[in-house]
Amino acid sequence: MAPREREEPEERERCITGIDGLDNILNGGIPRGNTVLVTGSVGTGKTSLCLEFLVHGAIVGENSLYISVTESADKLLSNIIPYDFFDRKLIKDGRLVFIDLPVIYERLGLEKLEFDFEEVNILITAIGNIVDELAIKRLCIDSITSVCYRLRTQENIRDFILKLGSMLSSRGCTSLLVSEISPAEERYSLYGVEEAIADGVVVTGNLERRGDLLRTLQVVKMRGTMHSRAKYVLDLTTVGVLLVPLLKGGSVPAAGG
Amino acid sequence: MSVTSEVSEKLQALPEAAAVAVRMKAEHYFDVIRAMLDVFASRKNLDSIYVTSTIPSASIINALEVLEIPLDHIWFVDCISQIMMSPGQKHGHAIYVESPTMLENLMLKVEYLIRKTKDRKNLVILDSINSLAIHNNTKILSEFLHILVNNLRAKESYTIIFSMEEYESEEIRNMLNLVSDETLQVEGEG
Repeated sequence: MAPREREEPEERERCITGIDGLDNILNGGIPRGNTVLVTGSVGTGKTSLCLEFLVHGAIVGENSLYISVTESADKLLSNIIPYDFFDRKLIKDGRLVFIDLPVIYERLGLEKLEFDFEEVNILITAIGNIVDELAIKRLCIDSITSVCYRLRTQENIRDFILKLGSMLSSRGCTSLLVSEISPAEERYSLYGVEEAIADGVVVTGNLERRGDLLRTLQVVKMRGTMHSRAKYVLDLTTVGVLLVPLLKGGSVPAAGG
Repeated sequence: MSVTSEVSEKLQALPEAAAVAVRMKAEHYFDVIRAMLDVFASRKNLDSIYVTSTIPSASIINALEVLEIPLDHIWFVDCISQIMMSPGQKHGHAIYVESPTMLENLMLKVEYLIRKTKDRKNLVILDSINSLAIHNNTKILSEFLHILVNNLRAKESYTIIFSMEEYESEEIRNMLNLVSDETLQVEGEG
């Protein structure tokens, strides 16, 4: 019997991050509409990675939104890497928008430390309205961990991320959700729920090798594309995030050994 | 024929984006540097990225000033100054890697400089394989050279790897043979 021809799955449209190394790892970029968890401990480059993703988006005409939860947008901008390709006109023209989430909480009257099911829905609707109003195509929430802190239960967190992801995806918006974990953490998020629901997981970390501390990046999961799962070393520079493969010398056993 | 002329002529005859191992005696060191930076790179309109793990960039910069070689198109990746804890002033044309064991960071700094000097093609000089071999084992060093050279070739950059004859081992020779298109032996006069 002749083998049945396998149908090639249709290639999904890509959201080119503009970070060359990452686009290569992802075989052309993030599948458009994916919700990606960017997770790692402090100082590993999560925020820089997200900002560069948004700046490149704004440059190519995709309106980009950064929702800051813990740090005010003003403070963030004052500490931003002086990228060679960054132009403040992007902000002035409304292509790159910064919003402090606590301001949204206040406007919505969500001032309790713990949100219930209904308040989760109010928050998602509010974010959806902003995305619609500003025609946002790239979004980052920094950090989702701080939002999840107010949701408390795993059910609420699961519900929030599912609804948020589905709302953004239906609008063709590609999103990065920053997750903070401690260096010793063996899972990818504080509550252990976020990584299961997200379409992709990008892990940033610090790797100590013989006393040297290297910043690393690894794409653990990305729905809708083939991708490398190897670990890369990254550098945060004024030309953007640069990536090279982590050298594995010595991990290959010697012949006969 | 002087060492500078000998080396620059041999370099001129190389194909574009070649990877070359330059074997020399320590006494010819500065003549070879002059041939690379002052003659070859100038003629070819190349920006030079000089990766040093042998002596601090400040010392090389001082020597270049004495030799009256302009620094406008020469950039340094210095892997040795920080590990020596030398308090010397940072130079505007040098970027620093904490240690010669951080080979990935060395590649990242070269990549950074290539992007910063994107209007011209590059000559990347690795000075030297022997000093890198002091700090790294052969396996990781071979892997590093393999990735670096292929990456530079893809970017149409020339790669020059210095090797001091006095400090060469069989392993280093094998490594250089594996990654280089050619080996240039500096004979000197006489």
